[in-house]
Amino acid sequence: MSAGENGDPDGRINGIKSALRVIPNFPKPGIMFQDITTLLLDPKAFKDTIDLFVEHYKHESISVIAGIEARGFIFGPSIALAIGAKFVPLRKPKKLPGEVISEKYILEYGSDCLEMHVGAVKSGDRALVVDDLIATGGTICAAINLLERAGAEVVGCASVIEVPDLKGRERLKSHGKELYVLVESQFEPTTQ
Amino acid sequence: MIEKPQYNFVNRVEDTYPFDQITLDNTIRFINPLLPSEEFPHMMNTLQISLAALALVSALAVLNPARYFFNGNSVISPNTLARASSPSVNPASISPLDSGDVSMKDDRIARISSTIRIIPDFPKPGIMFQDITTMLLDPVAFKDTIDLFVERYKNKDISVVAGIVTIRGVHQTAQTAKPPAPHRTTPYNAIWNICGVEARGFIFGPPIALRIGAKFVPMRKPNRLPGAVISEEYSLEYGTDIMEMHVGAVQAGERTLVVDDLIATGGTLVAAINLLERVGAEIVECACVIELPDLKGRDRLGDKPLFVLISSN
Repeated sequence: MSAGENGDPDGRINGIKSALRVIPNFPKPGIMFQDITTLLLDPKAFKDTIDLFVEHYKHESISVIAGIEARGFIFGPSIALAIGAKFVPLRKPKKLPGEVISEKYILEYGSDCLEMHVGAVKSGDRALVVDDLIATGGTICAAINLLERAGAEVVGCASVIEVPDLKGRERLKSHGKELYVLVESQFEPTTQ
Repeated sequence: MIEKPQYNFVNRVEDTYPFDQITLDNTIRFINPLLPSEEFPHMMNTLQISLAALALVSALAVLNPARYFFNGNSVISPNTLARASSPSVNPASISPLDSGDVSMKDDRIARISSTIRIIPDFPKPGIMFQDITTMLLDPVAFKDTIDLFVERYKNKDISVVAGIVTIRGVHQTAQTAKPPAPHRTTPYNAIWNICGVEARGFIFGPPIALRIGAKFVPMRKPNRLPGAVISEEYSLEYGTDIMEMHVGAVQAGERTLVVDDLIATGGTLVAAINLLERVGAEIVECACVIELPDLKGRDRLGDKPLFVLISSN
Protein backbone atom coordinates (compact mmCIF):
# COMPACT_ATOMS: atom_id res chain seq x y z
CA MET A 1 0.00 0.00 0.00
CA SER A 2 1.12 3.55 -0.29
CA ALA A 3 0.90 6.08 2.48
CA GLY A 4 -1.22 8.39 0.39
CA GLU A 5 -4.07 5.92 0.01
CA ASN A 6 -5.94 7.35 2.97
CA GLY A 7 -5.37 10.90 1.86
CA ASP A 8 -2.85 13.29 3.29
CA PRO A 9 -4.69 15.12 6.05
CA ASP A 10 -1.67 16.74 7.63
CA GLY A 11 0.19 17.41 4.39
CA ARG A 12 3.18 15.34 5.42
CA ILE A 13 3.25 13.29 2.25
CA ASN A 14 2.94 16.37 0.11
CA GLY A 15 5.84 17.89 1.99
CA ILE A 16 7.93 14.79 1.41
CA LYS A 17 7.03 14.59 -2.27
CA SER A 18 7.92 18.20 -2.89
CA ALA A 19 11.27 17.76 -1.15
CA LEU A 20 12.37 15.08 -3.62
CA ARG A 21 13.96 15.92 -6.94
CA VAL A 22 14.38 14.10 -10.22
CA ILE A 23 17.65 14.23 -12.15
CA PRO A 24 17.32 13.11 -15.76
CA ASN A 25 19.84 10.87 -17.48
CA PHE A 26 21.59 9.72 -14.31
CA PRO A 27 23.48 7.42 -13.95
CA LYS A 28 22.99 6.82 -17.66
CA PRO A 29 20.86 8.28 -20.47
CA GLY A 30 17.19 7.54 -20.26
CA ILE A 31 17.05 7.06 -16.51
CA MET A 32 15.10 9.60 -14.43
CA PHE A 33 16.95 9.40 -11.12
CA GLN A 34 14.87 9.96 -7.99
CA ASP A 35 17.10 11.90 -5.62
CA ILE A 36 16.29 11.69 -1.91
CA THR A 37 19.21 13.87 -0.77
CA THR A 38 17.07 17.01 -1.02
CA LEU A 39 14.63 15.37 1.39
CA LEU A 40 17.47 15.12 3.90
CA LEU A 41 18.01 18.88 3.66
CA ASP A 42 14.50 19.47 5.00
CA PRO A 43 14.54 18.39 8.66
CA LYS A 44 10.74 18.42 8.96
CA ALA A 45 10.19 16.38 5.81
CA PHE A 46 12.92 13.91 6.82
CA LYS A 47 11.39 13.52 10.26
CA ASP A 48 7.93 13.03 8.71
CA THR A 49 9.37 10.29 6.50
CA ILE A 50 10.66 8.36 9.49
CA ASP A 51 7.47 9.01 11.47
CA LEU A 52 5.28 7.59 8.70
CA PHE A 53 7.31 4.38 8.58
CA VAL A 54 7.31 4.08 12.36
CA GLU A 55 3.55 4.66 12.60
CA HIS A 56 2.91 1.96 10.00
CA TYR A 57 5.11 -0.69 11.60
CA LYS A 58 5.34 -0.01 15.30
CA HIS A 59 2.65 -2.55 16.22
CA GLU A 60 4.03 -5.31 14.01
CA SER A 61 6.54 -6.59 16.61
CA ILE A 62 9.44 -6.01 14.29
CA SER A 63 12.77 -7.05 15.76
CA VAL A 64 15.05 -6.37 12.78
CA ILE A 65 15.31 -3.52 10.30
CA ALA A 66 17.50 -4.56 7.36
CA GLY A 67 18.82 -1.61 5.38
CA ILE A 68 20.29 -1.96 1.90
CA GLU A 69 23.57 -0.19 1.24
CA ALA A 70 23.92 2.73 1.04
CA ARG A 71 20.73 4.79 0.97
CA GLY A 72 18.90 2.22 3.07
CA PHE A 73 21.40 3.14 5.78
CA ILE A 74 20.02 6.68 5.82
CA PHE A 75 16.47 5.64 6.69
CA GLY A 76 16.75 2.24 8.38
CA PRO A 77 18.66 3.08 11.57
CA SER A 78 16.27 5.88 12.60
CA ILE A 79 13.30 3.55 12.18
CA ALA A 80 15.13 0.88 14.17
CA LEU A 81 15.91 3.32 16.98
CA ALA A 82 12.29 4.48 17.13
CA ILE A 83 10.80 1.00 17.42
CA GLY A 84 13.60 -0.59 19.45
CA ALA A 85 14.68 -3.03 16.75
CA LYS A 86 18.12 -4.19 15.67
CA PHE A 87 19.58 -2.60 12.55
CA VAL A 88 21.29 -4.96 10.12
CA PRO A 89 23.22 -3.51 7.16
CA LEU A 90 23.04 -5.46 3.90
CA ARG A 91 26.13 -4.65 1.91
CA LYS A 92 27.97 -5.07 -1.36
CA PRO A 93 30.60 -7.83 -1.35
CA LYS A 94 33.69 -7.60 0.84
CA LYS A 95 32.50 -4.64 2.92
CA LEU A 96 31.35 -6.56 5.97
CA PRO A 97 34.15 -7.99 8.12
CA GLY A 98 33.94 -11.47 9.52
CA GLU A 99 31.62 -14.26 8.46
CA VAL A 100 28.89 -13.42 5.94
CA ILE A 101 26.26 -15.09 3.80
CA SER A 102 25.90 -13.93 0.19
CA GLU A 103 23.00 -13.72 -2.23
CA LYS A 104 23.59 -13.21 -5.91
CA TYR A 105 20.97 -11.45 -7.97
CA ILE A 106 20.45 -10.54 -11.60
CA LEU A 107 20.74 -7.02 -12.97
CA GLU A 108 19.69 -5.77 -16.36
CA TYR A 109 23.20 -6.58 -17.55
CA GLY A 110 25.14 -9.03 -15.44
CA SER A 111 24.69 -9.75 -11.76
CA ASP A 112 25.45 -8.32 -8.33
CA CYS A 113 25.73 -9.66 -4.82
CA LEU A 114 24.36 -8.69 -1.41
CA GLU A 115 25.87 -9.85 1.89
CA MET A 116 24.74 -10.09 5.50
CA HIS A 117 26.59 -11.01 8.68
CA VAL A 118 26.19 -14.55 9.97
CA GLY A 119 24.42 -14.35 13.30
CA ALA A 120 22.91 -10.92 12.78
CA VAL A 121 19.41 -12.35 12.52
CA LYS A 122 18.11 -15.61 13.83
CA SER A 123 15.07 -17.79 13.60
CA GLY A 124 12.14 -16.02 15.21
CA ASP A 125 13.22 -12.53 14.17
CA ARG A 126 10.58 -10.48 12.36
CA ALA A 127 12.30 -8.34 9.75
CA LEU A 128 11.48 -5.28 7.69
CA VAL A 129 13.55 -4.47 4.59
CA VAL A 130 14.18 -0.76 4.04
CA ASP A 131 15.59 1.07 1.04
CA ASP A 132 15.14 4.54 -0.44
CA LEU A 133 13.50 3.30 -3.64
CA ILE A 134 12.07 0.17 -5.21
CA ALA A 135 12.35 -0.21 -8.99
CA THR A 136 12.31 -3.76 -10.39
CA GLY A 137 12.55 -5.22 -6.90
CA GLY A 138 15.66 -7.29 -7.69
CA THR A 139 17.75 -5.90 -4.83
CA ILE A 140 14.94 -6.11 -2.32
CA CYS A 141 14.24 -9.72 -3.31
CA ALA A 142 17.89 -10.55 -2.73
CA ALA A 143 17.56 -8.95 0.71
CA ILE A 144 14.45 -11.03 1.46
CA ASN A 145 16.29 -14.20 0.45
CA LEU A 146 19.22 -13.41 2.75
CA LEU A 147 16.95 -12.81 5.72
CA GLU A 148 14.86 -15.93 5.08
CA ARG A 149 17.95 -18.09 4.65
CA ALA A 150 19.05 -16.93 8.10
CA GLY A 151 15.69 -17.99 9.50
CA ALA A 152 14.00 -14.63 9.90
CA GLU A 153 10.41 -13.94 8.91
CA VAL A 154 10.22 -10.99 6.51
CA VAL A 155 7.15 -9.04 7.56
CA GLY A 156 7.30 -6.49 4.76
CA CYS A 157 9.33 -4.07 2.68
CA ALA A 158 9.33 -0.31 2.94
CA SER A 159 10.73 2.38 0.71
CA VAL A 160 10.28 6.09 0.32
CA ILE A 161 9.69 5.90 -3.44
CA GLU A 162 8.19 3.36 -5.81
CA VAL A 163 8.59 3.35 -9.60
CA PRO A 164 5.33 1.58 -10.48
CA ASP A 165 6.11 0.90 -14.14
CA LEU A 166 9.03 -1.33 -13.15
CA LYS A 167 6.64 -3.70 -11.37
CA GLY A 168 8.60 -4.17 -8.18
CA ARG A 169 5.40 -4.40 -6.17
CA GLU A 170 4.12 -7.27 -8.29
CA ARG A 171 7.41 -9.08 -7.91
CA LEU A 172 7.21 -8.82 -4.14
CA LYS A 173 3.59 -9.90 -4.16
CA SER A 174 4.57 -13.05 -6.01
CA HIS A 175 6.86 -13.77 -3.04
CA GLY A 176 4.01 -13.05 -0.67
CA LYS A 177 5.53 -9.86 0.64
CA GLU A 178 3.78 -6.56 1.31
CA LEU A 179 5.28 -3.28 0.14
CA TYR A 180 4.72 0.05 1.89
CA VAL A 181 5.80 3.23 0.13
CA LEU A 182 5.30 6.90 0.80
CA VAL A 183 5.53 8.34 -2.68
CA GLU A 184 5.11 7.13 -6.24
CA SER A 185 7.81 8.47 -8.49
CA GLN A 186 7.43 11.68 -10.34
CA PHE A 187 8.50 11.72 -13.95
CA GLU A 188 8.79 15.43 -14.61
CA PRO A 189 12.44 16.32 -14.88
CA THR A 190 13.56 19.13 -12.63
CA THR A 191 16.19 21.69 -13.56
CA GLN A 192 18.88 22.66 -11.08
CA MET B 1 59.23 -44.86 50.06
CA ILE B 2 58.50 -41.17 49.91
CA GLU B 3 55.62 -40.00 51.92
CA LYS B 4 53.54 -37.76 49.68
CA PRO B 5 51.53 -35.16 51.55
CA GLN B 6 47.96 -34.61 50.42
CA TYR B 7 48.03 -30.89 50.99
CA ASN B 8 51.22 -29.00 51.01
CA PHE B 9 50.96 -25.47 52.25
CA VAL B 10 54.50 -24.97 53.49
CA ASN B 11 57.13 -23.18 51.52
CA ARG B 12 60.32 -24.86 52.49
CA VAL B 13 61.97 -27.20 50.10
CA GLU B 14 62.76 -29.50 53.05
CA ASP B 15 59.05 -29.94 53.67
CA THR B 16 58.33 -30.75 50.09
CA TYR B 17 61.03 -33.27 49.50
CA PRO B 18 62.45 -35.65 52.12
CA PHE B 19 65.86 -34.51 53.25
CA ASP B 20 67.75 -37.19 51.45
CA GLN B 21 65.98 -36.31 48.19
CA ILE B 22 66.82 -32.66 48.13
CA THR B 23 68.87 -32.32 45.00
CA LEU B 24 69.75 -29.39 42.83
CA ASP B 25 67.17 -30.58 40.37
CA ASN B 26 64.41 -30.77 42.98
CA THR B 27 65.35 -27.38 44.33
CA ILE B 28 65.11 -25.85 40.88
CA ARG B 29 61.71 -27.44 40.45
CA PHE B 30 60.65 -26.10 43.82
CA ILE B 31 61.64 -22.57 42.91
CA ASN B 32 60.01 -22.82 39.51
CA PRO B 33 56.83 -24.73 40.18
CA LEU B 34 55.86 -24.72 36.53
CA LEU B 35 58.42 -27.40 35.76
CA PRO B 36 56.85 -30.86 35.76
CA SER B 37 58.05 -33.18 38.48
CA GLU B 38 57.99 -36.96 38.61
CA GLU B 39 56.91 -37.20 42.22
CA PHE B 40 54.47 -34.37 42.20
CA PRO B 41 53.25 -33.93 38.64
CA HIS B 42 49.94 -32.32 39.58
CA MET B 43 50.40 -31.09 43.11
CA MET B 44 50.46 -27.40 43.82
CA ASN B 45 52.51 -26.06 46.62
CA THR B 46 52.24 -22.68 48.24
CA LEU B 47 54.51 -21.01 45.75
CA GLN B 48 52.48 -22.29 42.84
CA ILE B 49 49.27 -21.18 44.50
CA SER B 50 50.73 -17.74 45.20
CA LEU B 51 51.95 -17.32 41.65
CA ALA B 52 48.60 -18.43 40.26
CA ALA B 53 46.79 -15.99 42.53
CA LEU B 54 49.13 -13.18 41.55
CA ALA B 55 48.59 -13.94 37.86
CA LEU B 56 44.83 -13.88 38.33
CA VAL B 57 44.87 -10.61 40.21
CA SER B 58 47.15 -9.06 37.59
CA ALA B 59 44.86 -10.17 34.80
CA LEU B 60 41.85 -8.71 36.56
CA ALA B 61 43.73 -5.50 37.24
CA VAL B 62 44.68 -5.13 33.60
CA LEU B 63 41.15 -5.72 32.43
CA ASN B 64 39.47 -3.59 35.09
CA PRO B 65 41.89 -0.83 35.94
CA ALA B 66 39.24 1.46 37.36
CA ARG B 67 38.40 -1.15 39.92
CA TYR B 68 41.95 -1.83 41.04
CA PHE B 69 43.67 1.44 40.32
CA PHE B 70 41.17 4.16 40.88
CA ASN B 71 41.72 7.25 38.83
CA GLY B 72 39.15 9.92 39.38
CA ASN B 73 39.14 10.95 35.74
CA SER B 74 38.98 7.61 34.00
CA VAL B 75 35.91 5.82 32.74
CA ILE B 76 35.14 2.24 33.70
CA SER B 77 36.60 -0.30 31.32
CA PRO B 78 34.25 -2.64 29.54
CA ASN B 79 33.54 -6.03 30.99
CA THR B 80 35.23 -8.01 28.29
CA LEU B 81 35.41 -11.27 30.22
CA ALA B 82 31.77 -11.94 29.52
CA ARG B 83 32.31 -11.39 25.83
CA ALA B 84 35.55 -13.28 25.35
CA SER B 85 34.47 -15.61 22.58
CA SER B 86 35.33 -16.00 18.94
CA PRO B 87 35.44 -14.02 16.80
CA SER B 88 37.97 -12.36 19.02
CA VAL B 89 36.91 -9.41 21.08
CA ASN B 90 39.57 -7.27 22.65
CA PRO B 91 39.06 -4.79 25.42
CA ALA B 92 38.93 -1.24 24.19
CA SER B 93 40.52 1.23 26.51
CA ILE B 94 38.30 4.17 27.22
CA SER B 95 39.23 7.78 26.93
CA PRO B 96 37.45 10.12 29.31
CA LEU B 97 34.88 12.48 27.87
CA ASP B 98 36.23 15.96 27.97
CA SER B 99 33.02 17.61 29.04
CA GLY B 100 29.62 16.81 30.34
CA ASP B 101 28.47 14.43 33.00
CA VAL B 102 31.11 11.71 32.95
CA SER B 103 29.71 9.62 35.78
CA MET B 104 26.33 9.22 34.08
CA LYS B 105 27.93 8.36 30.77
CA ASP B 106 30.32 5.75 32.21
CA ASP B 107 27.87 2.90 32.15
CA ARG B 108 26.65 3.74 28.68
CA ILE B 109 30.12 3.89 27.20
CA ALA B 110 31.07 0.62 28.84
CA ARG B 111 28.07 -1.05 27.28
CA ILE B 112 28.69 0.53 23.88
CA SER B 113 32.33 -0.51 23.93
CA SER B 114 31.48 -4.06 24.88
CA THR B 115 29.25 -4.40 21.83
CA ILE B 116 31.97 -3.49 19.34
CA ARG B 117 33.87 -6.46 18.01
CA ILE B 118 37.32 -6.64 16.50
CA ILE B 119 37.96 -8.68 13.38
CA PRO B 120 41.67 -9.33 12.85
CA ASP B 121 43.28 -9.09 9.42
CA PHE B 122 40.41 -7.27 7.74
CA PRO B 123 40.34 -5.86 5.10
CA LYS B 124 43.96 -6.92 4.86
CA PRO B 125 46.52 -8.71 7.05
CA GLY B 126 47.72 -6.75 10.05
CA ILE B 127 44.64 -4.55 10.42
CA MET B 128 42.45 -5.07 13.51
CA PHE B 129 39.06 -3.96 12.16
CA GLN B 130 36.67 -2.30 14.60
CA ASP B 131 33.25 -3.61 13.65
CA ILE B 132 30.33 -1.44 14.80
CA THR B 133 27.65 -3.66 13.24
CA THR B 134 27.43 -5.69 16.45
CA MET B 135 26.60 -2.49 18.31
CA LEU B 136 23.68 -1.94 15.91
CA LEU B 137 22.30 -5.30 17.04
CA ASP B 138 21.93 -3.93 20.58
CA PRO B 139 19.17 -1.31 20.46
CA VAL B 140 20.11 0.08 23.88
CA ALA B 141 23.78 0.52 22.93
CA PHE B 142 22.87 2.09 19.58
CA LYS B 143 20.42 4.46 21.22
CA ASP B 144 22.99 5.37 23.88
CA THR B 145 25.53 6.15 21.15
CA ILE B 146 23.16 8.55 19.44
CA ASP B 147 22.09 10.03 22.79
CA LEU B 148 25.69 10.79 23.72
CA PHE B 149 26.21 12.76 20.52
CA VAL B 150 22.82 14.48 20.75
CA GLU B 151 23.49 15.56 24.33
CA ARG B 152 26.69 17.18 23.22
CA TYR B 153 25.31 18.98 20.17
CA LYS B 154 21.69 19.71 20.82
CA ASN B 155 21.19 23.37 21.44
CA LYS B 156 18.90 23.58 24.36
CA ASP B 157 17.54 26.90 23.17
CA ILE B 158 15.94 25.40 20.07
CA SER B 159 12.27 25.02 20.80
CA VAL B 160 10.99 21.58 20.00
CA VAL B 161 7.23 21.43 19.66
CA ALA B 162 5.92 17.91 19.18
CA GLY B 163 9.24 16.99 17.64
CA ILE B 164 9.08 19.72 15.00
CA VAL B 165 12.18 21.82 15.20
CA THR B 166 11.99 25.49 14.33
CA ILE B 167 14.73 25.42 11.73
CA ARG B 168 12.51 25.95 8.77
CA GLY B 169 11.16 28.78 6.78
CA VAL B 170 10.24 28.93 3.11
CA HIS B 171 9.36 25.45 1.91
CA GLN B 172 11.61 24.55 -0.97
CA THR B 173 10.40 22.94 -4.17
CA ALA B 174 12.06 19.92 -5.67
CA GLN B 175 13.85 21.97 -8.28
CA THR B 176 16.74 23.11 -6.20
CA ALA B 177 19.09 21.63 -3.66
CA LYS B 178 18.87 24.74 -1.50
CA PRO B 179 17.78 24.07 2.07
CA PRO B 180 14.94 25.91 3.79
CA ALA B 181 15.89 29.37 5.06
CA PRO B 182 16.63 29.44 8.78
CA HIS B 183 14.02 30.58 11.23
CA ARG B 184 14.89 33.92 12.73
CA THR B 185 14.81 32.90 16.35
CA THR B 186 17.26 30.02 15.96
CA PRO B 187 20.27 30.75 18.12
CA TYR B 188 23.44 31.56 16.24
CA ASN B 189 25.33 28.65 17.75
CA ALA B 190 22.96 25.91 16.57
CA ILE B 191 24.30 23.15 14.34
CA TRP B 192 22.86 23.42 10.81
CA ASN B 193 24.40 20.43 9.08
CA ILE B 194 25.54 16.94 9.88
CA CYS B 195 27.80 15.59 7.15
CA GLY B 196 28.14 11.83 7.09
CA VAL B 197 30.79 9.99 5.14
CA GLU B 198 29.65 7.00 3.08
CA ALA B 199 28.70 4.43 4.18
CA ARG B 200 28.97 3.97 7.96
CA GLY B 201 28.62 7.71 8.49
CA PHE B 202 25.13 7.23 7.00
CA ILE B 203 24.22 5.04 9.96
CA PHE B 204 25.10 7.53 12.71
CA GLY B 205 24.67 10.91 11.04
CA PRO B 206 20.94 10.90 10.18
CA PRO B 207 19.66 9.89 13.63
CA ILE B 208 21.71 12.70 15.18
CA ALA B 209 20.50 15.15 12.55
CA LEU B 210 16.87 14.19 13.12
CA ARG B 211 17.20 14.67 16.87
CA ILE B 212 18.88 18.08 16.71
CA GLY B 213 16.92 19.39 13.74
CA ALA B 214 19.89 19.68 11.39
CA LYS B 215 20.16 18.84 7.73
CA PHE B 216 21.92 15.61 6.81
CA VAL B 217 24.41 15.88 3.96
CA PRO B 218 25.87 12.66 2.56
CA MET B 219 29.48 12.67 1.37
CA ARG B 220 29.97 9.97 -1.18
CA LYS B 221 32.34 8.07 -3.41
CA PRO B 222 32.49 9.42 -6.96
CA ASN B 223 29.57 9.14 -9.39
CA ARG B 224 27.03 8.23 -6.72
CA LEU B 225 25.46 11.64 -6.15
CA PRO B 226 23.27 12.83 -9.02
CA GLY B 227 23.38 16.40 -10.23
CA ALA B 228 26.03 19.03 -9.60
CA VAL B 229 28.75 18.04 -7.13
CA ILE B 230 32.11 19.27 -5.91
CA SER B 231 34.91 16.71 -5.62
CA GLU B 232 37.95 16.39 -3.38
CA GLU B 233 40.79 14.03 -4.10
CA TYR B 234 42.56 12.57 -1.08
CA SER B 235 45.43 10.17 -0.45
CA LEU B 236 45.18 6.58 0.62
CA GLU B 237 48.02 4.38 1.75
CA TYR B 238 48.41 3.36 -1.90
CA GLY B 239 46.89 5.69 -4.44
CA THR B 240 44.07 8.19 -4.08
CA ASP B 241 40.32 8.33 -3.75
CA ILE B 242 37.67 10.95 -4.36
CA MET B 243 34.92 12.28 -2.10
CA GLU B 244 31.94 14.26 -3.41
CA MET B 245 29.28 16.54 -1.98
CA HIS B 246 26.27 18.17 -3.59
CA VAL B 247 26.55 21.76 -4.68
CA GLY B 248 24.14 23.82 -2.62
CA ALA B 249 23.69 21.32 0.20
CA VAL B 250 25.73 23.40 2.62
CA GLN B 251 25.73 27.20 2.58
CA ALA B 252 28.58 29.49 3.53
CA GLY B 253 28.72 30.23 7.23
CA GLU B 254 26.57 27.28 8.29
CA ARG B 255 27.79 25.51 11.40
CA THR B 256 28.53 21.91 10.47
CA LEU B 257 29.56 18.63 12.08
CA VAL B 258 31.31 15.78 10.29
CA VAL B 259 30.31 12.32 11.51
CA ASP B 260 31.86 8.92 10.85
CA ASP B 261 32.00 5.63 12.72
CA LEU B 262 35.78 5.70 13.19
CA ILE B 263 38.82 7.93 12.73
CA ALA B 264 42.09 6.20 11.88
CA THR B 265 44.68 8.25 9.98
CA GLY B 266 42.15 11.03 9.49
CA GLY B 267 42.50 11.11 5.68
CA THR B 268 38.78 10.71 5.04
CA LEU B 269 37.80 13.36 7.57
CA VAL B 270 40.37 15.79 6.18
CA ALA B 271 38.84 15.35 2.72
CA ALA B 272 35.39 16.07 4.17
CA ILE B 273 36.73 19.15 5.97
CA ASN B 274 38.30 20.41 2.76
CA LEU B 275 35.04 20.03 0.84
CA LEU B 276 33.16 21.94 3.50
CA GLU B 277 35.73 24.71 3.74
CA ARG B 278 35.61 25.15 -0.03
CA VAL B 279 31.95 26.09 0.27
CA GLY B 280 32.61 28.32 3.26
CA ALA B 281 31.02 26.20 5.96
CA GLU B 282 32.06 26.60 9.57
CA ILE B 283 33.20 23.22 10.85
CA VAL B 284 32.34 23.03 14.53
CA GLU B 285 33.68 19.56 15.26
CA CYS B 286 34.33 16.08 13.93
CA ALA B 287 32.50 13.33 15.79
CA CYS B 288 33.28 9.61 15.71
CA VAL B 289 32.28 6.61 17.74
CA ILE B 290 35.85 5.22 17.80
CA GLU B 291 39.33 6.74 17.59
CA LEU B 292 42.54 4.82 16.91
CA PRO B 293 44.91 7.22 18.64
CA ASP B 294 48.08 5.42 17.51
CA LEU B 295 47.32 6.48 13.93
CA LYS B 296 47.35 10.15 14.96
CA GLY B 297 44.25 11.16 13.04
CA ARG B 298 43.46 13.81 15.62
CA ASP B 299 46.67 15.66 14.77
CA ARG B 300 45.83 15.69 11.07
CA LEU B 301 42.61 17.56 11.76
CA GLY B 302 44.65 20.61 12.69
CA ASP B 303 42.50 23.19 14.41
CA LYS B 304 39.31 21.19 14.04
CA PRO B 305 38.24 19.61 17.33
CA LEU B 306 37.52 15.89 17.52
CA PHE B 307 35.00 14.25 19.84
CA VAL B 308 34.95 10.47 20.26
CA LEU B 309 33.17 8.08 22.56
CA ILE B 310 35.79 5.33 22.56
CA SER B 311 39.56 5.39 22.15
CA SER B 312 40.96 2.04 21.08
CA ASN B 313 44.61 1.06 21.31
